[in-house]
Amino acid sequence: MFLKQIDLTTALRPAYLPDEDLLFVQDNVGLYEGKYKLPNHQNGQVYLTSHRICYVDKAEPRKYSVALDLKDVERFEFYGGFLKSSAKITLVPKPTKRASLQPRSTGLAASPARSSTSSPAQHQDGPPRVSPAEPPPTSTATWVCTICSFSNPVPSNFDPTTATVHTPLAPCLACGIKPTLTHVLKATISNAASRQPGSPALQSPLPVRPRPATEVSPGPNQPRNPSPRSSDPDASFQCPRCTFLNHPSLLSCEMCGGPLISHDLPAELAPQARAHTDSPGPVLNSLSPVPAGTESPDSVKVSFRGGGEKIFYERLKSSMSQRKWLLQSAPPIPRASRPASEAHVNGPTASPATTSSTSTAVTRPKLGGIAGLEHHSQAMRKNNEFVIGTAFEDLEALMASAKEIVALADAFARQVKGASGASTASENALLADSLSQLGLMATKDIVGSSSSAGGSDSLYLSELARILAEFLTDDRRAVLRRAGGVMSLVDLWAAFNRARGGVELVSPADFDKAARLWEKLGLPVRLRTFKSGVKVVQGRDRTDETTVRALLGWLRDLHEFPPEREVPWDWRRFGRGVTARDAAERFGWSIGVAEEELEMAEERGVLCREEGIEGLKFWENFIDTGEGKGYKPPATEPSVVQALTDAGFL
Amino acid sequence: MSTPPPPSNQPSSSSPSTAFSFPPEYSFPPFFTRQTNLTTHHAQLTKWSSLVLSYCRHHRIFKLSLSGNPITTTNPTTTSTSSSERDTTELFFNRTINRRLSLPDIREVIDFLRRDNRAEYVTTTTTSTSTAAGGADGGTAGGAAAGGGGGGDIVWIYWRTPEEWAALVESWVDGTGQRGSVLTVYELVEGDGTVGAEFHGLDQELLLKALNVLVKRGKAQVFGQEDSLGVKFF
Repeated sequence: MFLKQIDLTTALRPAYLPDEDLLFVQDNVGLYEGKYKLPNHQNGQVYLTSHRICYVDKAEPRKYSVALDLKDVERFEFYGGFLKSSAKITLVPKPTKRASLQPRSTGLAASPARSSTSSPAQHQDGPPRVSPAEPPPTSTATWVCTICSFSNPVPSNFDPTTATVHTPLAPCLACGIKPTLTHVLKATISNAASRQPGSPALQSPLPVRPRPATEVSPGPNQPRNPSPRSSDPDASFQCPRCTFLNHPSLLSCEMCGGPLISHDLPAELAPQARAHTDSPGPVLNSLSPVPAGTESPDSVKVSFRGGGEKIFYERLKSSMSQRKWLLQSAPPIPRASRPASEAHVNGPTASPATTSSTSTAVTRPKLGGIAGLEHHSQAMRKNNEFVIGTAFEDLEALMASAKEIVALADAFARQVKGASGASTASENALLADSLSQLGLMATKDIVGSSSSAGGSDSLYLSELARILAEFLTDDRRAVLRRAGGVMSLVDLWAAFNRARGGVELVSPADFDKAARLWEKLGLPVRLRTFKSGVKVVQGRDRTDETTVRALLGWLRDLHEFPPEREVPWDWRRFGRGVTARDAAERFGWSIGVAEEELEMAEERGVLCREEGIEGLKFWENFIDTGEGKGYKPPATEPSVVQALTDAGFL
Repeated sequence: MSTPPPPSNQPSSSSPSTAFSFPPEYSFPPFFTRQTNLTTHHAQLTKWSSLVLSYCRHHRIFKLSLSGNPITTTNPTTTSTSSSERDTTELFFNRTINRRLSLPDIREVIDFLRRDNRAEYVTTTTTSTSTAAGGADGGTAGGAAAGGGGGGDIVWIYWRTPEEWAALVESWVDGTGQRGSVLTVYELVEGDGTVGAEFHGLDQELLLKALNVLVKRGKAQVFGQEDSLGVKFF
């Protein structure tokens, strides 16, 4: 299937891959498969990243969240919406067989960690057979000119595996405009994909029509290759139009030329169709010429009920053209533009072979000792100079080499910090960490503004809330754990904005609002307001009860261990009083939090206070031990009661 | 003025020579700080009240000075005041752990007792009228203390309320068959006949309050002048 289950973070956002960038978020979207609404995928948020489109369901995020890899997308179409039908973006998958067929596309699909794409699709090669109206494709590949939409044959000498930018391409036969290489490549690949039958393992479960079992080996030029499943050799296929009994292997009626559809197909398709919601959405009738075999019900539509489709489309377009997923397996950065003489000006052993474009192939001059080190650092400096030089040449180049530049800037920052004082190592680590975080930050322009009135900020806030929750629960950073499980909101705000490295700072108002959303969004952290109005952040599992238990356990321990100095009271019985400072030290809280927690415990009657010259101390509550509940005046003795009764007072 | 001081002005109060044993909370430092938690605070007041009452009962204290000043107890026999000093500061001030209950907090405890009718502020009006025996001579220490405390320093601690005292007196009268006879107040407090009774050595003012209760019930009649008050039981 085109759509795959995805992992969600603790904050119910998609778990990003390395180098994946978040580009856009929009809520209130639904998914369609083909014409039909996908059940349980009708209200959620869509995350557009540089690699994927993720759908996170609102009601059951863990169950119904799916993603599709952009690298599997053949093309995408935009439908602007009409009257009550919302705007949609249709994503057409690439034919899934190409990976095994085309060496070139194997390279494309070989991005690590996303190999799950190759899982067998359920009806991957069904679609081509279900659309019998298509003309049988020619044996040679064609590419459709983007200018005049004329179908040109791909030159016979064109080999997709070896083609490069420099391969000469014939212009369009109709209008004379040269096609782009990728265009022709795609056409070749899709043609090859639709031409080749699937392997038996990938065969569609949909039987097409009865056919002789003998005809099991179709020629490579026989494009529509029905399943060799039926074993009845005499079975013929009746044309639905003219009732002529055709030979089962024929695609169109011999008599009338009408298309022959498989007669047992509906029965197979019916249960699947019923699974869809009954109300089929409008289908965008694509008028543009479509490469053969790509229009299929497998296409996925994202329906934007809350707006945002235009930005999504724009960003999707740019991300599709950037194709960042290719970078994962690609060599770091092309440096072909570097003049060979400059690159190896310092290398005494520079040989012609080292002019290879990738830097990894540069041969190390064989030098040892200090001279070698010096040489190495010099080369490094040269290299850095070059990288920075090219990066800032224009914006495109900067974006292309952003990764490297960021790494360099990071290294420089570390050097500067290291010179000023090595004690801030942890801060540096936090800063370095923050860089990776930067890419994943939802900023206001990433998040689509909901068209519904009044809720323009709500998506941004809920995203912010999720990011905050992730930030807090991130094990690497352990912000919350280091703060003893409780952190005041102000401290968190400071830490968070520092982690953002001074970019896209969050305003206190937004921060506060986002923190209030935790409860609603079901995130693993919660906001707690103390009696005094102090707001703190803590894990959802941390309740007052656990805190009280921890405090009590600690105070009870103090009965066992003698205090440092002599105390006049019976410490074995009463223990001793603790200040907020003691508690802060003991539990790793900040003083403010400790005060609040102690007062919370006092509020619950577990602790009691002592104000003295040493400040406010908290004790285990020996005042209210429960026996004072039914207080009775102690002087009422039986004799008195008797006397009172006698005297008539009672 | 002229009458000799009684041989022992607190016959029964000195008898429990054993030291008062304070409850464990007394050595619990937070006990001396006003608690903010309402439940805890109520428990604290309850414990303080019972401590005050049992302390006063143990030492047969009828009037308590909140500031810890020694109270001059009026001697029932004379108008002169012999100050029988009892240091009550230890009640609110634990020297061992160096903790003291502050005066506002003490007042809160007293107010709590008053709600239970277990305490009452000694007012200047009562000292000038009904307790004329003690304070009317003017310039006496008792009157000064009561007046000087702003009507708030000296407190009656009713570890037995006047009603309870009245009941005790009445049952004693019944028990000794003195119904219809006339007794002086002095006889009731200091007389040999009441040595065994609980109200022996009772503060005279307090006894008068008790007797007034009986008067209201029509069980007794108080007559006579300041020094020679008599009471007749019916």
